[in-house]
Amino acid sequence: MRYVLRKVGLFIITLWAAITLNFLLPRLMPGSPVDAALGKLASAGVPITNAERNAIEIQLGVPHASLFTQYWDYLKNIVTLRFGTSYSFPTQTVAQTVGKALPWTLVLVGVTTIVAFIIGTLLGVYAGWHRGRAADTSITVGATFFGAFPPFWLGLLLLYVAAFKYGWFPIKGGYSPGTSPSWSPSFLSDALQHSVLPAVTLAVTTLSGWVFGMRNNMINTLGEDYITFAEANGLRGRTVALLYAARNALLPNVTAFGLILGAVVGGSVLVEGVYSYPGVGGLLFTAVTNHDFPLMQALFLVITLSMLVAIFVVDLLYVRLDPRVRSAA
Amino acid sequence: MKPLSHARSVAVCICAAALMATTASACSSGNSAGTSGSSTASGGTLTIQGDTGNPSLVEDFNPFTPSTELHGAFLIYEPLEIPSPVNGAYTPFLATGYKFTNPTTLVYTIRPGVKWSDGTPFTPADVVFTFNMLKKYPALDTTGVWAQISGVSASGNDVTFTFKAPDVPFANTVAQVPIVPEHIWSKISNPTTFADTNPVGTGPFMLSSFAPTQYTLKKNAQYWDAAKIAPSSVVFPAQASNQSTNQLEVSSGQFDWSYTYIPDVKTTYVNRDPSTNSYWFPPGGTIGLFLNLTQAPYNNVNFRQGISQALNRTAISQKAVNGYMAPASLSGLILPNLQQWLNPSLPDQGLVSQNRSGAMADFAKAGYTLKAGKLTGPSGTQATMSIVLPNSFTDWAAAATEISTELGQVGIKVSLDEPQYTQYSQTTQAGTFNAAIGGFGGSGNPYTDFNQALNSSFATPVHTPTVNNFERFKNAQVNQALATLAAATSKPAQQQATDRLEQMMYATVPIVPLYYGGSWGLFSTKHFTGWPSASNPYTLPTNYNNSLLTVVTHLVKA
Repeated sequence: MRYVLRKVGLFIITLWAAITLNFLLPRLMPGSPVDAALGKLASAGVPITNAERNAIEIQLGVPHASLFTQYWDYLKNIVTLRFGTSYSFPTQTVAQTVGKALPWTLVLVGVTTIVAFIIGTLLGVYAGWHRGRAADTSITVGATFFGAFPPFWLGLLLLYVAAFKYGWFPIKGGYSPGTSPSWSPSFLSDALQHSVLPAVTLAVTTLSGWVFGMRNNMINTLGEDYITFAEANGLRGRTVALLYAARNALLPNVTAFGLILGAVVGGSVLVEGVYSYPGVGGLLFTAVTNHDFPLMQALFLVITLSMLVAIFVVDLLYVRLDPRVRSAA
Repeated sequence: MKPLSHARSVAVCICAAALMATTASACSSGNSAGTSGSSTASGGTLTIQGDTGNPSLVEDFNPFTPSTELHGAFLIYEPLEIPSPVNGAYTPFLATGYKFTNPTTLVYTIRPGVKWSDGTPFTPADVVFTFNMLKKYPALDTTGVWAQISGVSASGNDVTFTFKAPDVPFANTVAQVPIVPEHIWSKISNPTTFADTNPVGTGPFMLSSFAPTQYTLKKNAQYWDAAKIAPSSVVFPAQASNQSTNQLEVSSGQFDWSYTYIPDVKTTYVNRDPSTNSYWFPPGGTIGLFLNLTQAPYNNVNFRQGISQALNRTAISQKAVNGYMAPASLSGLILPNLQQWLNPSLPDQGLVSQNRSGAMADFAKAGYTLKAGKLTGPSGTQATMSIVLPNSFTDWAAAATEISTELGQVGIKVSLDEPQYTQYSQTTQAGTFNAAIGGFGGSGNPYTDFNQALNSSFATPVHTPTVNNFERFKNAQVNQALATLAAATSKPAQQQATDRLEQMMYATVPIVPLYYGGSWGLFSTKHFTGWPSASNPYTLPTNYNNSLLTVVTHLVKA
């Protein structure tokens, strides 16, 4: 119980620190949202004037209050879950904007992460069990090869070949132009088609981490006395591999998996950017380039919160999974 | 040329004589959106590339929100008139013409018989309402109309604007304000945050369907010039967030009109379908080297002339934009767009070519001489220059690299500072920079271009931000010439004042013009013809401003 209480206390302190950093960091960026809005016009070739600057300044309602007042308002707004209006999408609340993007990222990155974890772990078990043999070599070399691809580069390559050159998959977006999100089967299959390339990009480039983690844990575990003991008892190879070795080797990978699941809501800025996917990653990029403080704050808050919750849950799970943690507390 | 109705031809010619004084060109280009409706073949879908979805489009057709990304709003709401950004010639829309009864009183004659797309008649009261709304909500007044006008009133078919000071060229700005219906907008409690999802306008198109990745406009059958409108619908797909995808989509030929800089346009775009694909890259602004005139040695005119002569503008344009754009004239005018205003006494149309010995002579006059390969000043130290530019503007970066090489050859130590746009914007506006790459001009009106770049009234003290004249040029003679030009209503008087400004620009080099900023129009004639081109330059090929309306009203079914 003391262990749990200590973890709750730590959680609250970390949360406060994260929320405060979340407030400060965007404001440390040079330039203001007004400069960013002018930049968008200038890069489009629009001659910008002082009049334009004034109008944008009034329209955005960029706060002139002291940092401390802003911070206090910010804390109050977080408690009441009011995030205000974003500068990039002035006619929507931040909550609406984030709410629209979140499902796309959760499904795409979430499913890909889980699939990559399962496949990667199984491959790692297999390679570890058959260590030193042809299967191990080909899995290790393959994982090294694909893991070394920068995700955006693989993304661009797939986009050029599979979408532009051969037209097997759509070139951009989460769904076809002209359609609106709904639960109809035709829309879902359309969305599925659009998600193939980004999913493959993400899965291929993240797979290798799981493979290596699992393979190396397996090899360590396979050197333990109880494995030798199990083998000596004449247990079948598969039973030893899965129930004795893999089960114990899995623990560190589960921790990492929990952390990565927490990071899923942050999306993948690069891959979502390459495919113009309507998720949180793309939104985050827009928010940062526009110096959109309200939107950035809300997004960072969602990301840090889910990360902290994931860590907290993993911490609590350990109490169940690992008796040593319990006795240490 | 089709015949003009009498009233219109008079009105257009008055405005031409009064402001641009280019009677022939104003009349002929005013004609093209004319009321005389010999019906043309119509139908078909026009697909326009360029709306940015971040990551998806947000439904908001409010024409006054600067952040709105929906360019379709330009086809829904019409302004009074649209001056061409090429040469200032007017295309009339909700007004049939205008005249200055004196340099501070501007009268528009409003087009009769126009209806809003919901069937309500459009009246001069709507115009007065729109301008008064901009006064009440300064956030909507993005062009600063109320900085110059003091009142607006309607009587009969006329709307009269009173100016605080003589400013004939300001008609340019007044004319372009999009007009909204009083019967709808007067009921909106806060138009600054109004997400206009059901837009009612007078324009040739109205909203048909909206999805976060694409929206479609359909032809407004009640449009006052409906017979002249060729497309039956216009589709705006959202741009990809990834520039490479955009270029792939453009070259795959799915758009009738795109606006994108593509290197090697002949191979990547035209040759993919040479029978229909074409491009037009006219100059739309001037890219210049802005020197901070509050700092030595840049406050020395001889030093600035030395820099100007040390540069090889052809090489700079080649490096920056594949040579698509010509070197810029030191007159400050965009050529050939504003050729008619060019001061004939300027040598070689104001073009200055590289001349190192001339540059060294100028530097010597400023007290700088070459010692052991270093341009050394009176204090015995080498001349240095830090050029600031936004890191995302790759053409400017290429130009700056070439400049630093060329200035290095005359012994100046140049360093490049490439921050994010926001920091660039802050440094330049505050006047804390050394030198900067920047753009100016492109309004189609010499007065507006010169005024925004050179008027001392914009030159705030260092640390007080200003967007215009951020190089902080102060010159009483230039101010006087600007004031004369602002009040001039006759062509000779306008030409005289413009000549003086060009002469001053050429002689004092407040900005070092480098090359022209391009306007990157890519067209397909598969479905429609009548696109602006070098032989018919009625507007710039920009699809993100009201040129969109001018172009769409010029299209003919292929």
